[in-house]
Amino acid sequence: MTIITTKKPFEEIVVAIKDIKRITIVSCASCAAMCQTGGTEGAKEMAEKLEAEGFEISTVIVPEEVCDNRVMKTDFRKIEEELRHTDAILTLSCGLGVASITEVLSNKFPLIPVFVGTNTEFMGMTERIGRFYMRCQGCGDCLLNETGGICPITTCAKSLMNGPCGGMVDGKCEVGKYEKDCGWVLIYKRLKELGRLDLFSKLRESVNWSERGHQREVVWR
Amino acid sequence: MTEKKIYSKLGEKLASGEFILTGELEPEKTTDLSHTIHEAKQMAPYVVAANVTDSPLGIVTINSMAATHIIQRESGLECIWQLTVRDVNKLGIAGMMMGAHALGIRNVLSLTGDHTALGDMPESKPVFDLDSATLVKLVREMVDKGSINGYEIEAPPKLHVGAAANPNANPVEAEILKIGRKAEAGAEFIQTQVVYDIEKTIEFLTGIKKYNVPVLLGIFPMKSYGIAKGFDEFVPGVSVPKEILAQWKSIKKEFPDKKMQKEAYDQANYEFFKPFISELKKKKLLAGVHCMAVHYPRIFPKLQEVVFG
Ligand code: SF4
Ligand code: SF4
Repeated sequence: MTIITTKKPFEEIVVAIKDIKRITIVSCASCAAMCQTGGTEGAKEMAEKLEAEGFEISTVIVPEEVCDNRVMKTDFRKIEEELRHTDAILTLSCGLGVASITEVLSNKFPLIPVFVGTNTEFMGMTERIGRFYMRCQGCGDCLLNETGGICPITTCAKSLMNGPCGGMVDGKCEVGKYEKDCGWVLIYKRLKELGRLDLFSKLRESVNWSERGHQREVVWR
Repeated sequence: MTEKKIYSKLGEKLASGEFILTGELEPEKTTDLSHTIHEAKQMAPYVVAANVTDSPLGIVTINSMAATHIIQRESGLECIWQLTVRDVNKLGIAGMMMGAHALGIRNVLSLTGDHTALGDMPESKPVFDLDSATLVKLVREMVDKGSINGYEIEAPPKLHVGAAANPNANPVEAEILKIGRKAEAGAEFIQTQVVYDIEKTIEFLTGIKKYNVPVLLGIFPMKSYGIAKGFDEFVPGVSVPKEILAQWKSIKKEFPDKKMQKEAYDQANYEFFKPFISELKKKKLLAGVHCMAVHYPRIFPKLQEVVFG
């Protein structure tokens, strides 16, 4: 699994950091590196572009996993001196990385703003580098045992629990000009193949949102 | 078994097993419903009720609940309020059911609705908290049990709830099984998408017969060659047969006189739909016909002959 990121348009980044002078780049060596938005390469490219725009690069680090607080604590300890002479951090990772950095720095360097240089797209399945697909949205109440392993929340454009809807034509979905498969037809075909149309025939309840609409956490107690 | 409760003329006719005709009204992006009311009055002598659409194609129009209420009040024609699950969440919809009853609405058609991305406000949030089956279930709980989510409603709404079906769907088995879910949810009637292909229609209607829900077949008599061509091109998943398009084209050429042209179109519709409906009636696959040709009220006298003749 990879958190899929794409590059934020450079002009948009420049607008966000326009009042900043000295920048530390934190570029993730995991998912973002795979998506070619972070890693050593991404950091180098960003540093060059920023310098060309007149920004000053305080330092560049490429931590193993920016989203992991433990990794960031260790890595920031090594550059404390540089952090004292930096005005902001630009993160080349997913949104989790930005949150992780902000939290880790909140004690010692609470005034350093953390910016993001990517757009986080989704958690993706990798077919090969450059072909990433959303197949699960982490809803917290997985239905795959009943849908032949195909997620209706993700593959149905309306996240319906009882599809296919009237927008399906010849197995394709009305959203996206009938180019993508209708998720519910995929589910139907798979369950038919498995001899489990009994599951397809089942009337499903609507999604229970009572646990979904707020900050979710998994905390072992 | 308790006796089936009747809340509307539509409910009464469906329960009696009498063959019926329903029509369709499409309010537009306006606060002025006078055209729609005029059309409702024109079709009123011929139909049991007329559907009132809910921002079809995701193109925003006057709210369908308000429109249904006003059309009923001003025209005297009973309406079938169409409600999509696209724009309002479960909580909102439950409230609307009580509101609709209070406004004198007694029939509702549960629809998914075209995705917001297709319409003229694509940036709008698509809701789809319920789907067309769970909306039916919600209505039936409110009506039959007088409760919502287990909480009692002081004076519960009384409405009949129907659902849609698409006989043109491919793969058709997926659609048939889905109708099974809607039937299980408690759909009291089905109105279908427009059909032109008799073989497909028979296959589908035979497939859903076991669910025992009365079916009103969607047809679309075509007012002119332009309308027929537009329908063929712009309604995804439904194609108008080539012969029909050719025939309609030739009518346009053959009769430069507008009045004669109109009569020729009306007659051609009659000749196409008469044997179509007769065959399905003979096979006992239908409870009635739902005419979706909006802005074509003059067809109703002829349609009456098609349906009842
Ligand atoms: S149902 Fe879909 S979104 Fe939810 S956990 Fe399973 S795969 Fe993920
Ligand atoms: S066509 Fe299929 S995938 Fe698209 S919204 Fe309808 S049910 Fe979902």
